[in-house]
Amino acid sequence: MIVELLAQYVMNGLMLGMMYALVAVGFTLFFGVLDVIQFSHGDVLTVGAFTALAAFVGLHTLGLGSRWLDLVVIVLAATLAMALLGMVIARYFIMPLRAAPALNTLLITLMLGTVLREAVRLFYPEGANPKPFPALLPRDAVALGAFNLRLDNVLMLAAGAGVIVGLQFVLSRTRLGLAIRAVAQDEETARTMGINFTAIVLITFAIGSAMAAFAGVMNGLYYNEINFGIGLYLGVVGFSAAIIGGLGSVYGAILGGFLFAGLQTVGAVLLPFASAYKDVFAFAVVIAIMAWRPTGLIREKISERV
Amino acid sequence: MAALLEIDGIYTTYDKADVLHGISLAVEAGTITCLLGSNGAGKTTLVRSILGLTPARAGRIIFNGIDITRLATHKIIAAGIACIPEGRKVFPKFTAEENLRVGAYQDASETIIRGRIAEIFRIFPRLAERRGQLAGTMSGGEQAMVSIGRGLMCAPKLLLIDEPSLGLSPRLVQENFNIIRQINDRGISILLVEQNVRQTLAISTRGYVLAKGRVVAAGTAAELRGQQQVREAYFG
Ligand SMILES: Nc1ncnc2c1ncn2[C@@H]1O[C@H](COP(=O)(O)OP(=O)(O)OP(=O)(O)O)[C@@H](O)[C@H]1O
Ligand SMILES: [Mg+2]
Repeated sequence: MIVELLAQYVMNGLMLGMMYALVAVGFTLFFGVLDVIQFSHGDVLTVGAFTALAAFVGLHTLGLGSRWLDLVVIVLAATLAMALLGMVIARYFIMPLRAAPALNTLLITLMLGTVLREAVRLFYPEGANPKPFPALLPRDAVALGAFNLRLDNVLMLAAGAGVIVGLQFVLSRTRLGLAIRAVAQDEETARTMGINFTAIVLITFAIGSAMAAFAGVMNGLYYNEINFGIGLYLGVVGFSAAIIGGLGSVYGAILGGFLFAGLQTVGAVLLPFASAYKDVFAFAVVIAIMAWRPTGLIREKISERV
Repeated sequence: MAALLEIDGIYTTYDKADVLHGISLAVEAGTITCLLGSNGAGKTTLVRSILGLTPARAGRIIFNGIDITRLATHKIIAAGIACIPEGRKVFPKFTAEENLRVGAYQDASETIIRGRIAEIFRIFPRLAERRGQLAGTMSGGEQAMVSIGRGLMCAPKLLLIDEPSLGLSPRLVQENFNIIRQINDRGISILLVEQNVRQTLAISTRGYVLAKGRVVAAGTAAELRGQQQVREAYFG
């Protein structure tokens, strides 16, 4: 009985960790290329989730749609639309502020996040209320003792892992990845190598924002409900995860995401009668980690010679 | 015949005050042209203006018949200019080989890139041994090799070299000059910024002396060797 319950917790922790990691990677990528924190990143996730929902409603109004077609369409709609939104944010709200103090960028992106969130609340039909999100993945389950391993959870984890592996592949094996990593190390020298800096920044924002949209869809499919505030919470958690991992490190962000989910899970197990405190527990540990290792868990190991 | 690079009266400013005051110079195709001048004269600023990193606010820069004064840096590189920047600026978290690859960023062909890497390894056998080492952990001399090799990777028409011998031992400095001459022998024109007047003039065709953002002397290497201003700029 206990084992089954634990398995349930672990599964839930993995799902959450995957979503956090997907969001955290965005923060770390954006910081890499532009040295900024994109505080509206979480709200981009919200808009992505609502775009997916709108696409679903649209398909069914047209009388089209089958489970797999729905899935493909909502994922594509959400990721492509958010890739575009991410590029617009970078191009028109963040890049023009490069000469200004970093605090101005922080303020602009915070306000932009509020605008996105409020726009969903006010302009999406009945956007102020939680909206049911369709359960598009097969719910079949394999019983392992008393623990039901659900196919939809496995599929979501596999898809999330696929996205992360894909990102790693792009970053480490492709010409685009080489350019992103070069810009992250030294913008000016990267430009001197013939890299189109603006294009690389925009592509990076497109990738990071599409990953947030993917996490938003996962969130909807997992809880079968979304609301205009999901991104606010996931944004704060994703940001914390990126910081504990060591901002700028992709591995660190992934590690940070799963670590945070692990802490929440431990919190929920240790405090079964007060699971509402699991976030308090997780954030308290994050604060302790920051006090212990102020620059994050994955530290830059290379001394940078000039 | 027009020169490969023609700079015509450029003014460049960082914040408010001009750092370059109407500089004009030319690099003839196939030559090594040197740029001498004491610290703070504006040599690096001139290189940055050519590259579009700090574009000139007035005047014109013509390269190979194209006006590049206001082009974005990546388009200037595409036109056929490469740079070995002041302070080498290797990417510390890239391996030696990745540093070379990023130098050929605009050449998409893997065969061409492989061929050029092999060529660089022939010039610097030491880099071949250390191809997988992170550039940030390399010695100053090795980093210099990486930076030079990276500058050659795009097979430029014109190579801008900013103080390559800074911080190197006398033996390595001499080796550096030999390599610059070899690069030039392959048909690559060079604008060389240097402080070692004697060795620089020995390999240059022509030269310019900068002081406080102005050209104060110009001529063939032989002419410059005898000139008063050159001596003053360095020994005055
Ligand atoms: N980024 C910058 N912002 C403001 N002023 C600058 C900047 N870079 C250089 N300067 C100023 O411009 C002038 C010329 O500098 P520059 O680096 O071009 O000189 P240099 O001839 O390359 O000197 P060195 O031989 O020491 O490298 C100097 O007075 C310098 O202080
Ligand atoms: Mg200089």
